[in-house]
Amino acid sequence: MQQREEKQLEAAVESLISRVAHVKNALHSFIYKLENEYERLTWPSVLDNFALLSGQLNTINKLLKNEKTPSFRNQVIIPLLLSPDRDEDLAKLTEQRVPVFSHEIVPDYLRTKPDPEVEEQEKQLSVEAARIGPDGAQKHIQTLNKLCSNLLEKLNNPRDDRDSESAAIRQNKPSFNPADTNALVGAVAFGKGLSKCRPPGTVAPGHPGQGPMMSGGPTLQQVTIGGGSSQQAGMGGPVAPQQQGQPGKMPSSIKTNIKSASGSMHPYNR
Amino acid sequence: MEAPPVTSMPVTGGAINMMEYLLQGSVLDQALESLLHRLRGLCDNMDPETFTDHELVYLLKGQQGNPFILRARRSLSHPTSPWHLRYLGQPEVGDKSRHALVRNCVDVAASHSLPEFLNEMGFRMDHEFVANGHIFRKGVMKIVVSKLSRILVPGNTENTERLSLSYLVELSVLAPAGQDTVSEDMRSFAEQLKPLVHLEKIDPSKQRH
Repeated sequence: MQQREEKQLEAAVESLISRVAHVKNALHSFIYKLENEYERLTWPSVLDNFALLSGQLNTINKLLKNEKTPSFRNQVIIPLLLSPDRDEDLAKLTEQRVPVFSHEIVPDYLRTKPDPEVEEQEKQLSVEAARIGPDGAQKHIQTLNKLCSNLLEKLNNPRDDRDSESAAIRQNKPSFNPADTNALVGAVAFGKGLSKCRPPGTVAPGHPGQGPMMSGGPTLQQVTIGGGSSQQAGMGGPVAPQQQGQPGKMPSSIKTNIKSASGSMHPYNR
Repeated sequence: MEAPPVTSMPVTGGAINMMEYLLQGSVLDQALESLLHRLRGLCDNMDPETFTDHELVYLLKGQQGNPFILRARRSLSHPTSPWHLRYLGQPEVGDKSRHALVRNCVDVAASHSLPEFLNEMGFRMDHEFVANGHIFRKGVMKIVVSKLSRILVPGNTENTERLSLSYLVELSVLAPAGQDTVSEDMRSFAEQLKPLVHLEKIDPSKQRH
């Protein structure tokens, strides 16, 4: 009977030690990450670390609650020898964290009662719990559960409703105007709307020899049309470009050929 | 004076022919902030860079054909920087599947005597405008969000009025001729800016009418 209990105790303590070692490693790597890589750290990875720690604490709790685990409360640890000298074995065992097993470390490491502040808070909480009573507590629990499930439902389910609302709002406020796009591109590409603060198409008075400023838009258009219309020689008469005000600034490239329409001059010979 | 076809001869002996791939769009003033935030997130991490430029477009008229156009640009926020002279050719009418506007591009820096030099050469200034805004970079892609203003009194860059209530957004890449993967990258980047801005290939010759 004793032996079985002893074996159980030993096994429980060993598994507890290994779980605590896992928690220690997780904390160690988390602290390292926070101290050294904080520039690259993202909130989701911090959350992952916290989740890992919480999971490990959970397994420790489960282990302690396990029926196979003997109650640790019945065990007593008594320090047999306290010395202010450095103990090498202890130092190696605790990775240099407890080099001396002396009077200073005993109250911290062998403590069984919680801190006085924590004890106060616990007492307050139990007084509060006793005041509400078991029925009131049950009602609180139910309300909390209901709120949580409502929230979960809202978050999980109709994402489509929310999307359509936001899409409707976005459609009401277009963020660009295609007409503006065309106007701006025209301005950059060939100065539409920029020349002499006058939109193109109006007749430019244009004083001959007025220095660098020339009517911009109309000039550009008329040159290209001029190139095209020089082939219309047989049609007689200058075409529109000439009317856009060419006050003799440059020799017109349009040659006009006014001839009487006779059979031999028909452009579309059969 | 038609520009010689791009693929048959380099513009200057021995230099690589650079092409400019361009996508343009615009964004209304009220959506500007969200566009800038999105660009700050998508683009390379650098301090937000603003610029104020004064661009003058010079024309040289030949006897026939299209005039030769040169664009001279100087920075109003850095008055001592050199002027920037740029030639942009006609857009290449390649296959319709190319997603960006492609044209030949030659860039040189010039001293502050550039306007007088161009005048002496026979160029005449056609129009000028002031552009100011933000510039972002992602790899080789350059994204410029600019507000264009008209200059009311020629030569006076203080007295300006805005051209429209939108900002012009341009996505451009300078790459040697023949690289077609560039336009694919540009298109996927443009996808990420929807629905705030629709960057598309706008053919300037279609805009004239």
